[in-house]
Amino acid sequence: MKVVHYLNQFFGGLGAEEQAGIGPEIRGEAVGPGRLLEQVLGDGSTVVKTIICGDNYAAENLESVMETVVNEVRDSGAELFVAGPCFVAGRYGVAAGALCAAVQAELGIPVVTGMGVENPGVDLYRQELYIVDSGENVAEMRDVLTKMAAIAKVTASGEDVGRPAEWGYIPRGIMKDEIVEESAAVRLANMIVAKTQGQPYETELTQTGFEPIPAPPAVTDLSNATVAIVTDGGLVPAGNPDNMPAIASTIWGSYDIATVDNLEGEDYEVYHRGYDNRHVLNDPDRLVPVDVLKELEKAGEVGKVYEQFLSMTGLANPLANSRRIGQEIAENLKSAGVDAVILTST
Amino acid sequence: MKLTLAIHEVSDAKLGSGTTLDGGVLTVDADELREAILEDRRIESVDIEVANPGQPCRIGVVFDILEPRAKEPGTGSDFPGLLGPMAMAGQGTTHVLRGTALTVVDAQQEPGIASKMMEMHGEAAVNSPYGNLHHVVVVPHMIPGTPRHVELNALRLASARATVFLGSAGVGQEADSTEEFELDGPSTNREDVPRIAYIGQIHGHQMVVEEDERILYGSNTEGMVPVTLHPNEWMDGAVVCSYWVMRVETYFYQNHPIIRELYRRHEVGEINFVGTVATVAASLEADRNRNCLLAAHQAKWNLNADGVVLTKYGGGAPHVDMGETARICEALGMKTVVQVSDSSGDRRAESAMLFNYPEVDAIVYGGGGDIAWDVEPVERVIAGSPAVAQALAQMTQIPAQALCGVTNQQGASVVRAVVY
Amino acid sequence: MAQVTAVTPVAKMVGSNRVIQGKGIVYPLGDAELDAEEEKDLRRSIVRQALEALKTEV
Repeated sequence: MKVVHYLNQFFGGLGAEEQAGIGPEIRGEAVGPGRLLEQVLGDGSTVVKTIICGDNYAAENLESVMETVVNEVRDSGAELFVAGPCFVAGRYGVAAGALCAAVQAELGIPVVTGMGVENPGVDLYRQELYIVDSGENVAEMRDVLTKMAAIAKVTASGEDVGRPAEWGYIPRGIMKDEIVEESAAVRLANMIVAKTQGQPYETELTQTGFEPIPAPPAVTDLSNATVAIVTDGGLVPAGNPDNMPAIASTIWGSYDIATVDNLEGEDYEVYHRGYDNRHVLNDPDRLVPVDVLKELEKAGEVGKVYEQFLSMTGLANPLANSRRIGQEIAENLKSAGVDAVILTST
Repeated sequence: MKLTLAIHEVSDAKLGSGTTLDGGVLTVDADELREAILEDRRIESVDIEVANPGQPCRIGVVFDILEPRAKEPGTGSDFPGLLGPMAMAGQGTTHVLRGTALTVVDAQQEPGIASKMMEMHGEAAVNSPYGNLHHVVVVPHMIPGTPRHVELNALRLASARATVFLGSAGVGQEADSTEEFELDGPSTNREDVPRIAYIGQIHGHQMVVEEDERILYGSNTEGMVPVTLHPNEWMDGAVVCSYWVMRVETYFYQNHPIIRELYRRHEVGEINFVGTVATVAASLEADRNRNCLLAAHQAKWNLNADGVVLTKYGGGAPHVDMGETARICEALGMKTVVQVSDSSGDRRAESAMLFNYPEVDAIVYGGGGDIAWDVEPVERVIAGSPAVAQALAQMTQIPAQALCGVTNQQGASVVRAVVY
Repeated sequence: MAQVTAVTPVAKMVGSNRVIQGKGIVYPLGDAELDAEEEKDLRRSIVRQALEALKTEV
């Protein structure tokens, strides 16, 4: 197997932090950890090119380094691209992740890297890549490269890589169903016994942390502001003009309320299977409070109620989908001159 | 409290003259069973069939599956508060027709994503915990114009009546074996093993409960606060499914996999099973806060638990109540493990969770989203309407989530979503 | 943006900055138990809380 290997200035033997500004250098052979990589890959695998780049240079010129690396890998006819391992070196990890993702996307050959779980490259690229959990100890280099080689070989052969714990990579967060020996009841009992007795247990899902969202500044003068209502409760006009689905909508709708002072049930339908819709159908203002907001508009407490309400179905929705819809709704309202939004959620 | 299950092993079931259990063969007299169900005047007619494992047959839309059982006369009440007079469930002797199921079809339901069905042969059947049972299937048809909640109430009562009618075939017969369930509850002292409790939701109120919805000893759970139950009560008719049935069947209250497993570990001396709490997931935040707090505190102060197993009911929102209850348990010094059902449409772990507390870090994760079995068309379908019958007959694939029991939330499921 | 929801733990988990307590999953800005006038008062009070949150720096 022909391999291209990416290293930072330190592992590439060019020097420490003082050499971090150095641009990409190409060597026609294995360098440093690359020699060990050849050994653990075996089968006559050769590192045909090593690309060495300073961490700062890569961080500041990521686009151009990505282009260089993709071109070099393509020209070399490599069948595998390896970056690192990077342990807990943050800039190195972020660059390695970006380069692996670029090579994978552009050239479709197997890629693999390694990082400690604290490395910021992990959160950025774990979903796309096999990132071997390298820990922080550089002395584990052989062990880490061995795991990387095993994953590289199995992906190159087109087979599936097994579970993260068995293969030593950081979970990518992709779920696959399996029929297992032990029922949920037995697994629950196993776990509670272990947890109460202070013994190790392996959760079947690690929870996802969410990045804080910067709060937009307050709208100090609402009497001059345009306020819009958005809901994820699936309210749509009778006849469902946009074919809103009752679960996990990939679309959102924008519906006119310019001339109504309150919503009548007979004019609307609800497409949302996650809650009992009957109360909202009896009075849609319970979800989209047009009646009181229009009153407050007349009273001058609110400058203007935006003439449309926006709606989608927020049930069992993939996060990526929700993010996109949120983005689209925000852009739509922003360009319509809306200053503030009340989002109602079921 | 001690419950004795008198187990009658059933190896075959058929329709015939007179309802009898003889040499492991259950004969069901359709006219007798029909008469018992038609005591309810809201039901106009009822179809009765038997579906045996391994025979090409499809059933839908399933309202509920129960295990045919009846109390030994004089030792308790059948489905107290729902069917029989109020009495404490979980004591005395209950006859069990092991190997059989009473399957009730909801004739008003259209087949859809959320609907449930049974397949009696092939790979799909093998993967359902109900696939190897002898099903007595009843399809009640209501008087036209019956309101939906009244229909559901009639289905609920019919399922209890039919279950007891069939179970009564075991009364007076010598049992093949007995199972005994006896626990003194939280007063049991055992050194050096953890005290374990179970907190289970029995409804999710984002689906509004109907006044006539009989769930816990006949109560509809509206306004309910968490209540401690002896484990035996769950298994002996105190709890049945709500009208909104999602990955739950009364069969697995009667044979509650989690309660049975905790019992087993209690009996081998691995844990001290101290009891259970039944609760509901709320629609109103005030109710959620109250229920979560009271459920956790009952596990702490009534049961003095060291560890708690928690499960939720229905779909997405009840996860929040379960997660919050677990968080409070942890804050009170009790360890927790929770069972989460798969709601990640994109099969991404990031889409999977509706709570996130660092201390609630022991999660059993159910799956089912990407398993489906290819099936052949079948000639025999037991359904509530010609439209459903046709849809079922022509199916070419059965998704795991549509097949009863496969993604069960009471602990029976062996489908797990593994994070790669 | 101010978010009105009866399931505030989820809103807070995903990082919503201005979360207002709604009444119930089945009616975030209503209450079928109340008569029409009381219900509208409740709705007005929830909307006013949302407006107040929009006016307040986080």
